[in-house]
Amino acid sequence: MSFNLLFLVFLFPLLGFLTLAFSRGRISENAAAVIGVGSIGLSAALTALLGFQFLTHPPEGGAYTQLLWTWMNVGGFAPQFSLRLDGLSLVMMSVITGVGFFIHLFASWYMRGDEGFARFFSYMNLFIASMLFLVLGDNLLFLYFGWEGVGVASYLLIGFWYKDPANGLAARKAFVVTRVGDTFMAIGLFILFHELGTLNIQDVMARAAVVWPQGSTTLTIAALLLLGGAVGKSAQLPLQTWLPDAMAGPTPVSALIHAATMVTAGVYLIARTHVLFELSPFALQCVGVVGAVTLVMAGFTALMQTDIKKILAYSTMSQIGYMFLALGVGAYQPAIFHLMTHAFFKALLFLSSGSVILAMHHEQDIFKMGNLRKHIPLVFWCMLIGTMALTALPFTSGFFSKDEILHEAYLTGHTDLWLAGLFGAFLTAVYSFRLIFITFFGPERWRKESHAHHDAHDAHADEAHHGLAANENPHGAKTLDHHIPLLVLLALAIFGGFIHLPLDGVLPHAVIADHHKGGAFIEYLPLIVTLMGIALSWYLFLKNPALPERLKNGAVTKYIGKFWQSAFGFDWLYDKLFVQPFLWLVHINRNDIVDVVITKIPNAFHSAHGFFAATQNGRMRNYAFAMGVGACLVIVVVLL
Amino acid sequence: MNFTEAQWLALLPLLITGASPIVVMAAISVKRHHWWNATLGVSVLNIALLVCAAFLLGPMVGLLPPFVPQQITPLLLVDGYALFYMSLILATTLATGTLLHAYMEGYQGNKEEIYLLLTISALGGVVMACASHMASFFIGLELMSVPLYAMVAYPHKSRISLEGGIKYLVLSAVASAFLLFGMALIYSQSGVLSFAQLAAWASATGGGTVIALTGVAMIFAGVGFKLSVVPFHLWTPDVYEGAPAPVTGFLATASKTAVFAVLLRFFVDGGLYRYVGLTDVLTIIAIASIIVGNVLALFQGNIKRMLAYSSIAHFGYLLVALIAGGPLAIEAVGVYLLTYVVTTLSAFGVVTLMSSPFGERDAAQIYDYRGLFWRRPFLTSILTVAMLSLAGIPLTAGFIGKFYIIATGVNQHQWLLLAAVVAGSAIGLYYYLRVMITLYLLDPQRRRFSAPLHWAQQAGGVMVLGLMLLMLLLGIYPEPFIQVIKAGALSIH
Repeated sequence: MSFNLLFLVFLFPLLGFLTLAFSRGRISENAAAVIGVGSIGLSAALTALLGFQFLTHPPEGGAYTQLLWTWMNVGGFAPQFSLRLDGLSLVMMSVITGVGFFIHLFASWYMRGDEGFARFFSYMNLFIASMLFLVLGDNLLFLYFGWEGVGVASYLLIGFWYKDPANGLAARKAFVVTRVGDTFMAIGLFILFHELGTLNIQDVMARAAVVWPQGSTTLTIAALLLLGGAVGKSAQLPLQTWLPDAMAGPTPVSALIHAATMVTAGVYLIARTHVLFELSPFALQCVGVVGAVTLVMAGFTALMQTDIKKILAYSTMSQIGYMFLALGVGAYQPAIFHLMTHAFFKALLFLSSGSVILAMHHEQDIFKMGNLRKHIPLVFWCMLIGTMALTALPFTSGFFSKDEILHEAYLTGHTDLWLAGLFGAFLTAVYSFRLIFITFFGPERWRKESHAHHDAHDAHADEAHHGLAANENPHGAKTLDHHIPLLVLLALAIFGGFIHLPLDGVLPHAVIADHHKGGAFIEYLPLIVTLMGIALSWYLFLKNPALPERLKNGAVTKYIGKFWQSAFGFDWLYDKLFVQPFLWLVHINRNDIVDVVITKIPNAFHSAHGFFAATQNGRMRNYAFAMGVGACLVIVVVLL
Repeated sequence: MNFTEAQWLALLPLLITGASPIVVMAAISVKRHHWWNATLGVSVLNIALLVCAAFLLGPMVGLLPPFVPQQITPLLLVDGYALFYMSLILATTLATGTLLHAYMEGYQGNKEEIYLLLTISALGGVVMACASHMASFFIGLELMSVPLYAMVAYPHKSRISLEGGIKYLVLSAVASAFLLFGMALIYSQSGVLSFAQLAAWASATGGGTVIALTGVAMIFAGVGFKLSVVPFHLWTPDVYEGAPAPVTGFLATASKTAVFAVLLRFFVDGGLYRYVGLTDVLTIIAIASIIVGNVLALFQGNIKRMLAYSSIAHFGYLLVALIAGGPLAIEAVGVYLLTYVVTTLSAFGVVTLMSSPFGERDAAQIYDYRGLFWRRPFLTSILTVAMLSLAGIPLTAGFIGKFYIIATGVNQHQWLLLAAVVAGSAIGLYYYLRVMITLYLLDPQRRRFSAPLHWAQQAGGVMVLGLMLLMLLLGIYPEPFIQVIKAGALSIH
């Protein structure tokens, strides 16, 4: 077993993608499932072997670089395709292929019977291949290549059910908003290349410290531009608006792309280029502030959502906020640790929610559910454990990682960020258990709802599969391809916190002066706050459900609630700030003044074409004459 | 003749290629059979190609001792450069043979003689690739061109083919006259005909007499016709349109490659870089070819004519490398010709397969390709990649070629030429993409052309599919090919 098999890890999904893409509806569902899931399975197995090798026989210098090929070598321009395996990319690779494999397996159950089954897996494989390229590329250019690749895959998968125009719109919104971030990032890369003359990550890190003094303006700009790319991909303020809409995609997609892997690419990017941020304290501070503000804001918004997937989407946004916060205080290792545990429990939550949605016949509104623990107990336990990990209750993986983040934030003296994180923990507890209490406890709302549903939507007879029928009970799945992913992720969500990540050679530890500052109280505070949140949630949504209803209709609270529900009105604001002015510009420039000038160019070519075409008259005597004249001209010019 | 063993060996590809017309002729006289006669001729060429490839690659991988360059009489010089271009020309001929087989199936007259013409023409190309002397230059050129007249007019009952053939014959004769007269003028001054001796004479005497310069200019007029650069380009669209599609492909690739190979050798070994006036005139020709070729292609509705105009522009790009010179030039020309040949062959390959078997007319109108994607996805993807490659989009072969041209120009600070290349590429995008769009439009109900259902099972289909993969491979991993081309580079004095 040697490291030079590394390229196979991303070759398998790529081949899976190509096979499925070119077999276009010619293969059966089972064959597509075998190819689509199997390719990721092979990658995951190989990753496990490579990881074992890496941990038992670490390569020299803690990293292994595999030169795949030199594209071309022309006049000193010799771009190289190479992969780099170190502790950080190993962790990312394991999460992507490991969690990815189980999500694929789950998807083979979830998507069964969909007409685009093979297409779905081809996109999913494309995504995994791009994501692996993103984390394995040793060059920022290839990282960017993978970055765009996952963007395309995300676009394709959000709009997977393309027959509903709303899904297409959501896909487009995700693509355009992340594109804004990508543009920032591209400019950042241009600056780095211009100033340092290389995009190889190791060289950039080494040279940055030599070329730039601490806090140099150019460096700060470059780092902030990279941050711009990161917030776009990771759905952080101010480019967060696309993530809730992205839930239009099939649920396994939300689990894989919009929870476990792609949205954490921004965290990976900053961790990977942490040297730049270390050199620019301002940029690093921005990272922390973005994370803190996002996590609180997303927490408030999640509190008001009624769509089960949107609650999870805002919670993802909020958890990534924690990772950014951790990066911002220099706690890189806890950030990656939380990235991993979050991948476990959020994938679990999303897959369980997918199971809930199917059990409810494509119903996503939690207020049309209730008491589901009686009907789908396995899913209930998965959801509960996932939520406990999300709220960082002890003995779950989330406890270890979030606790570490908050503690290090406190110890490094970022009291403001720490407070935000603490408040976020409280919010997390409230909204997460709200989801649990409303969905799995309380009255069986779907019983009476189904009647109303039926009456109100008589016109939509063709959507009869939407929601449960009058006398139907939710029923769970009974197959292994449904159970295994849930149970494995369940185990990971509980025990994932005991995994020790091999990050020491790659990422520095946070600078902490006094390890015992604050004492035990500070360490227990997050837990206390969380328990308070759960208690409040229990009181509001289970004990006394009339109270939130009253608040919803209260004079002032009504507006606050609306404000929170609309995610602090960012969609409205961006509409007013960018979309409307743009449309206005389009409107006043209906006749397109610029185009009048530009049209002259094709017109000129049109005339030129007409002129030259007239010389092609097909008469041989003219041709021979032209040759003679041409030869004379050549002779004259040569002699002159 | 007292040839050494090594010289005989070096001559082997030429001898085998020379044997192939004889074999085809004998086979026809024994029994007319389309498949059998064609296969026999192609097999002999295959052996020649294998020998060439073995001589070129053998020393690289250490399997053969290097025994080239070998000067065989003053006429022929077999070196790595010659071997590379011989391989390229032979491979192109083989591809053309495969396409011809699919195409000629429906031809009513005698099908077999076209392979005779094809192999003779290939022999001419091979001679040119190793010509180191004016005489072999001229003989090779004529040996290649004369069968081509007949090949263009092969479907002689078709008015348009006959017209194309006659135009090509007459105008080509004019060009040959220029060429021959130019050589005579140079000989009258220097008294030598070999490229090396010519260079020696020029450096000894300065070589700048009016008559010698006129001679050089006339040679360029003749060669310019074969390469169809402005202002000697007028014949191109008419002949391309008239010729049967596979012959057009051969005309656009093998014939031009051979002429450019010998031109480059003449330029380098003959020491022509010293003539500043010549470089000036080539600069004008290159810029004019790029602009005129691209502009003419813009609104062209006939894909064969469009490719004709596009080839005018492409040889304009190629001249940029020749003019710029410098250490990269030889490599750049090799890479560019390789990528151009692969791309153009696959484009004409698709046109051929669409037009096969021979019918009333070729599927030459862009309209014939409307909505092809919905009927023939693989054929469409091949044409799509070919168009992208012609336009020079990254990760296709065309990009690597164009990148080399630009790198060569930048190295030698040829900013004016580079501006023309950039402008030309921008214009080019329009008409290449226009073809691509047509492919994916809705299928018209009225279908005239539809490639045979099991096209992929035919040799031609497999061949164009291979060409497409090669286009992508060249774009993604060109380094091994570049190494081969470097092994076959000339040294600039």
